[in-house]
Amino acid sequence: MANSKDSIEVKRVEAAFNPVQDQDLDIYGEELRKYTIVDVDVHVDDTLQNMLPYMDGHFGKRLEAVLTADFMGEPHNSLRNMIAHVSWLGAAYDKHPRAKLATKEDLLDRMEYGIIDYSILFPSELLPIGYLPDPKWAASLASAYNEYMVDAYSNVAGVKIAIVVSPKSVEHAVIEIEKYASNSDVVTVSIPDVGVNPPLGDKKYWPIYEAAEACNLPVSLHGIEALIHDNYPLRVAHFPTLMQVHSMGFPFTSMLQVMSVVCEGVPVRYPNLKFCVMEAGITWVPFIMHRLDTAYRQYRTELPALEAQPSEYISKWYWGTHELEKLPKKGDLSKLLDLYQGHDTTMWASDWPHLERDLIAGLMYYDLDDEVRAKILGKNAIEFYGITT
Amino acid sequence: MKMNKAKRKVAVAPVDEFPPGERVEIKVGKISIAVFNVKGEYFAIFGICPHQSAPLSRGRLQGTVVCNEHTNWEKEWAHDGEVLVCPGHAMEFDLRTGKAFGYGMKLRTYDVIVEDDWVTVIL
Ligand code: FES
Repeated sequence: MANSKDSIEVKRVEAAFNPVQDQDLDIYGEELRKYTIVDVDVHVDDTLQNMLPYMDGHFGKRLEAVLTADFMGEPHNSLRNMIAHVSWLGAAYDKHPRAKLATKEDLLDRMEYGIIDYSILFPSELLPIGYLPDPKWAASLASAYNEYMVDAYSNVAGVKIAIVVSPKSVEHAVIEIEKYASNSDVVTVSIPDVGVNPPLGDKKYWPIYEAAEACNLPVSLHGIEALIHDNYPLRVAHFPTLMQVHSMGFPFTSMLQVMSVVCEGVPVRYPNLKFCVMEAGITWVPFIMHRLDTAYRQYRTELPALEAQPSEYISKWYWGTHELEKLPKKGDLSKLLDLYQGHDTTMWASDWPHLERDLIAGLMYYDLDDEVRAKILGKNAIEFYGITT
Repeated sequence: MKMNKAKRKVAVAPVDEFPPGERVEIKVGKISIAVFNVKGEYFAIFGICPHQSAPLSRGRLQGTVVCNEHTNWEKEWAHDGEVLVCPGHAMEFDLRTGKAFGYGMKLRTYDVIVEDDWVTVIL
């Protein structure tokens, strides 16, 4: 309630045409300063054109052709957008402030504000490589991306890199992992997990896990709106709206992949390999843990490799918070963390600069012990990615 | 005893400096209020989004799609220019009532008057 002693400030303002960012909010004050904040899901969107010099021969030509497509007024972002929004174009009536495509400069500007101490860079335009049908094209894009990112972002203060591998090109993925293992700025192997068939527990992917474990690199599964692909779990033709695709696409894919990796015994075979899931929210985590445990009681003989209930393996996975669900009560996040034992495994993630990116205010809304808040905002990520501060 | 709480007035800007299409943000202590001139009509609404606290004074004004018994359950474009879209993640608020479209929730709105040629918000 305003009272008569409150100071009054009047400021002329303008409508924001890009989504507002953490630094546009003045509600944090000094509060955030005491935390080391790691944003575990950050993107730059200008990688396709920057990758071009790293691609030879006919794949270079092919990328050139992709880059000339101007989709939704966003040239150079065509690969992602073409697959992303064509079916539901206009259905949101352009409500959202249009996300500016972020460049390296934008990333550095954001870091400069001093709110975020570390950013983990994940692929953006390359997230669909999980379902690009041609494994060689996917591998060639992944190579060029990794080479460019390591050239452009190694030794940039506070920036760490997720190299990307295509699950369709297992041998190539192993080569990429081994190539970058000794670079201390490369902190994880990102597997874009949408449209991957068979799902990621399958034996054919095990060499990827073996290499990642040997190189001490954790694996991050990163989703994308399950858009045009026609694989399980979502045949998107069922959905008339992008909202439905978006809501179910991320968590359903994640649940499928978690279930597959755990049930196929990957955590038993590679006990030192760490996994995390990005961009699927977190409210479903207790569901999949306990749902699988329930079925395990009856069907355990189908999974003889497991030495414990599925939930025991899943409780060791890490989770990026984005898109952090807004639960009705301020105490609800704490209850949720109890349900999946997530105090040491939940990592704050914004998905900056994409439209749905979370603001830190979304986490600060919840009542949490200060130590738990510090873990979620940074300490868990420092542990997971092995960042030396 | 009935308390007769005096309303507090905040003079925001001279009328001729607050033309249609303009907006200002006022901060009264910790409270933030967004004030708009839409085609000559003034609106003031609580200025912090209940989702993740984005400043509503920076939201775009648009229309929205409605679908109810008055439209015979068909989708229709409505409220053109009077829907405040949060610059965070696009929650929509009716400037006239503060009601969030699609939510059982309402932001506080404030009366705005012109007094001595000043646009004035009544808290
Ligand atoms: S902050 Fe307003 S919709 Fe997210």
